[in-house]
Amino acid sequence: MTTVLTTLLSHYRRHPGQLVMLLLGLWVASALWSGIQAINATARDSYARADALFATELDQLERRDGATLSRDEYHALRQAGLPVSPLLEGNVVTQDGTRLTLIGIDPLTLPSENALGQAGTSSSLTAFLTPPWQTRVAPDALTALGLERGNAPGATPTLAEGGKLPPLTLSPALPPNTLIMDIAAAARLLASGEAITRLVAAPGALTTAPPDYTLTRATSLASPGQLTESFHLNLTALGLLALVVGLFIVQAALGLALEQRLGMLRTLRVLGVSGRTLVAALSLELLLLGVIGGLTGIASGVWLARWLLPDVAATLGSLYGADVGQTLSLPWQYWMGGLAVSLGGLLLAGSGVLWRAARLNVLSLGQMQAWRSGFRRQLTLMSIAGGLAAAIGLGLTLWLAQQPPGDGLLAGFGVVAALLLASALWLPPLMALTLKGLTHLARRRPLTQWALADMQLQLPRLSLAMMALLVALATNLGVGSMVGGFRVTFLDWLDQRLVAPLYINAPADQYDAIDTWLADRPEVSERLLTRRSETTLLAIDTPDESRSLSLAIDLYGITPGESLTPHWPLLNTLDDRPSAWAAFDNGAVFVNEQLATAENLSPGDRLTLRAPNGNETLTITAVYPDYGNPSGQVLMASHQLAARFEAPPSSMGLVLHENANVEALRNALTTRFGLSNDAISDQREIKRIATEIFERTFTITRALNVLTLAVASLALLASLLAQARSRRQQLAPLWALGVPRAQLARLNLAQLGGAALATGLLAIPLGIAITWGLVAVINVAAFGWRLPLHLFPGEMAVTLATAVGVALLAAALPALRFWRASPRALLAEETHQ
Amino acid sequence: MLEFDQVHKTYATPQGPIRVLKDVTLRLAPGQSLALMGESGSGKSTLLHLAAGLDLPDQGTITLAGEGLAALAEPARAKLRREQLGLVFQQFHLVPSLTVIDNLRLQARLARRDDTAWTAHLLERLGLHGLEKRYPEQLSGGQQQRLAIGRALAPRPALLLADEPTGNLDETTASHVLELLLSLVHETQCALLVVTHSPQVAAPLDRCLRLSHGSLLDATP
Repeated sequence: MTTVLTTLLSHYRRHPGQLVMLLLGLWVASALWSGIQAINATARDSYARADALFATELDQLERRDGATLSRDEYHALRQAGLPVSPLLEGNVVTQDGTRLTLIGIDPLTLPSENALGQAGTSSSLTAFLTPPWQTRVAPDALTALGLERGNAPGATPTLAEGGKLPPLTLSPALPPNTLIMDIAAAARLLASGEAITRLVAAPGALTTAPPDYTLTRATSLASPGQLTESFHLNLTALGLLALVVGLFIVQAALGLALEQRLGMLRTLRVLGVSGRTLVAALSLELLLLGVIGGLTGIASGVWLARWLLPDVAATLGSLYGADVGQTLSLPWQYWMGGLAVSLGGLLLAGSGVLWRAARLNVLSLGQMQAWRSGFRRQLTLMSIAGGLAAAIGLGLTLWLAQQPPGDGLLAGFGVVAALLLASALWLPPLMALTLKGLTHLARRRPLTQWALADMQLQLPRLSLAMMALLVALATNLGVGSMVGGFRVTFLDWLDQRLVAPLYINAPADQYDAIDTWLADRPEVSERLLTRRSETTLLAIDTPDESRSLSLAIDLYGITPGESLTPHWPLLNTLDDRPSAWAAFDNGAVFVNEQLATAENLSPGDRLTLRAPNGNETLTITAVYPDYGNPSGQVLMASHQLAARFEAPPSSMGLVLHENANVEALRNALTTRFGLSNDAISDQREIKRIATEIFERTFTITRALNVLTLAVASLALLASLLAQARSRRQQLAPLWALGVPRAQLARLNLAQLGGAALATGLLAIPLGIAITWGLVAVINVAAFGWRLPLHLFPGEMAVTLATAVGVALLAAALPALRFWRASPRALLAEETHQ
Repeated sequence: MLEFDQVHKTYATPQGPIRVLKDVTLRLAPGQSLALMGESGSGKSTLLHLAAGLDLPDQGTITLAGEGLAALAEPARAKLRREQLGLVFQQFHLVPSLTVIDNLRLQARLARRDDTAWTAHLLERLGLHGLEKRYPEQLSGGQQQRLAIGRALAPRPALLLADEPTGNLDETTASHVLELLLSLVHETQCALLVVTHSPQVAAPLDRCLRLSHGSLLDATP
């Protein structure tokens, strides 16, 4: 076996390019896949740690009017026999500028089964409860505190504002960027006096909320893991695509390596190596390559994940409010899984060639014709398999058409995957058919006819690279158009919603005074007060059905002023826009697209919401887009929200007359009401922050998109370079027959440029179909919003040019060598053949 | 050493079945040499493939080193080929990615009969000394065929099968290669079956048979 294996591997000593191509394919495929899995694993670890705490496991009690709770209130509730525990939450900033969440707890009253009670530390309760207290922290927050793991226990790092943290104790089970300490220590550090952020209780311990309080049940709170599931599914889909494209390269390289070793295989068989031994040796070779490529790929994947993780963490934080650690946390399953996927993928890519090698008769093994005739059968099989994939895609589309919008995330991915697979599988038969037809048409132009016939001969070797290129180009176009379209829509939406140049975020109890004061300011033309609250959606009445439910939703109140209503984006209204706004002012509500999609709501339906003074049943008169918000939201007029739900004010937009002195007004507000600097923000700043969040959200998508296209380009480049030598052998006889070398080189460029152009042109409609799948099915199911279909001809032209450019570059290198080769060398190659 | 008993072989083609071998019976004793001559398409190569166990007859029996080939499974036939046979082809069939020395030792290694002294002796006799590190494409046609002969004889087979061993060489080189082949066969005392249409190749062998349209003429087993 060793002799057979070393003999097989000796091929790569003479053809190192093929080995590089194989390892490269495996490396990039497993690097992209394992990089994404590393990000997913780290995020899931963070969610698991967050879930294990009180965030989603405890019922929460807050004041209905949004005002801060005090210790007196807590004591009163405890004395009334309610099993509540106080929590104090705030932020502290470390010296390197990182914002950490600080949570103060009272371990004596906190439900004992909660993970926070243990939080993975063995230190005594006394040390936690008494000065100098303790700070429990997860190891991945230590970098922000400027500490190493070794010197962290007992350290008392100084914060940006000068305060010192109590001595640190490591608790790996805590969520990232979170500090836990006794509520007294937290109150001192946050200088919060007697304030308490919220009260928590064991799930079900409180049957109803006390008067003036709202009770949010743990079961109605979505965990970060649930919220971000679709985001991770999107990432996994992109990773899978990169893996498939990488495996295309592997399969192309394996096919080529085996094709060139047919003579060797025959010799080995003739020398007494059984077919079974030969297949076993080839499998062993695959395993060896798989382990090398897989391990280097996983190592690079970890590096890639480290590079992308900050952007992903920022995205998950801004989109879902999920805190994800900045340090990779990879369980052993990750490493084993990565290697298994690489080896499995390699086996899948190599099984075809192994099967073909095992089936070929020893007497015909050395004959190229026997090998090539297999390609015709392969084309038939590809056509059939493509048809099957298309049928599955069509079936899924028909099924999706009958589902309510927002359902079928996996089916949506299935449609896109089936579409890609069908197109990729149909590409080689389509190209073979086209080339055959064109060869027939060009029978009076011998050189063109030769070029087309020659392309038919090249097709078996080129088809996999072309398939990879088609998949990558189409995905690039599809995802690019989706992101670009989202960007355009999002920026328009921001412009429409942010009509006021100044926004005030003051403590809730100051708005009345601010409003009264602003009413007399001549430069202010309109005051747009907003309010926020939360409630439970109890029932839905539609013309077809009435159903009960218990869904936590956000309530948002806006002032339907003259400057806001003409611009505020609405997707769907009961009658016309003016009627919808008139009804809105009188107590009707609008719902965001996410809620409408999730609950299948339309204008005209009625919602029953839990309210302080009995339930409120309100009519929906419009649906509005609400990009970036993971929650269902009901919008109503600010004054209606105050009257019906006792919602506190949350911000105020100021519409100003032209030539108003914005800076003077800002200073006057700050001075008069003692507001902090960041309590007043201007519109440009808000837009800048929102756009920045948007850009970060799609950083990883763009990065993976570009990497996938780069991998596919590499596949094409490698395929063409790997067969450069045999190409010269094809061209040499023509040169000997009197065709100038320059003309042959041009012909070669035209052949491959043409093939890439054809592939690129096919990728355009496919890319548009993918964009449709993303915006109309996958985004709706994943995020709850549907985007208009935007197409970007400029980007399409660039993608097309990239495809042709790569093909020309790949063809140019061998063409150049052909151009520069001496006539003697060319003839020698021909003789050798 | 090798016995064919009433062997028939037919190949199916789109134009209908073609009978390649008809009732072939021959016997080759250990250490004996036999030339098999015939026109192109007479069935010579098919007979050689059957002798090597690369293919099986439709009728009749073939016995090699006392083993009936039809009764053996493919791995057993491969083992027999590895340990008892040496094969030399017109097209050499060297492994292009292995050096001269690795090609020479390939079959001996596969048969676990790698003998350093014998390999060195062969290298010397084949006139390839000093070329060990070269690759087949860096050798002349005569050198390549000599290397192929050396590879076949390296495990000291009981039977050497040669298919037009000089068919790809010029007259002078062919004469040298043939001389070397016979000399080495004599030295290893293996039986030799050569398929050829060259009377010069057939002349020095113990016996000569002619194959015409699949049948043996002047068959004197």
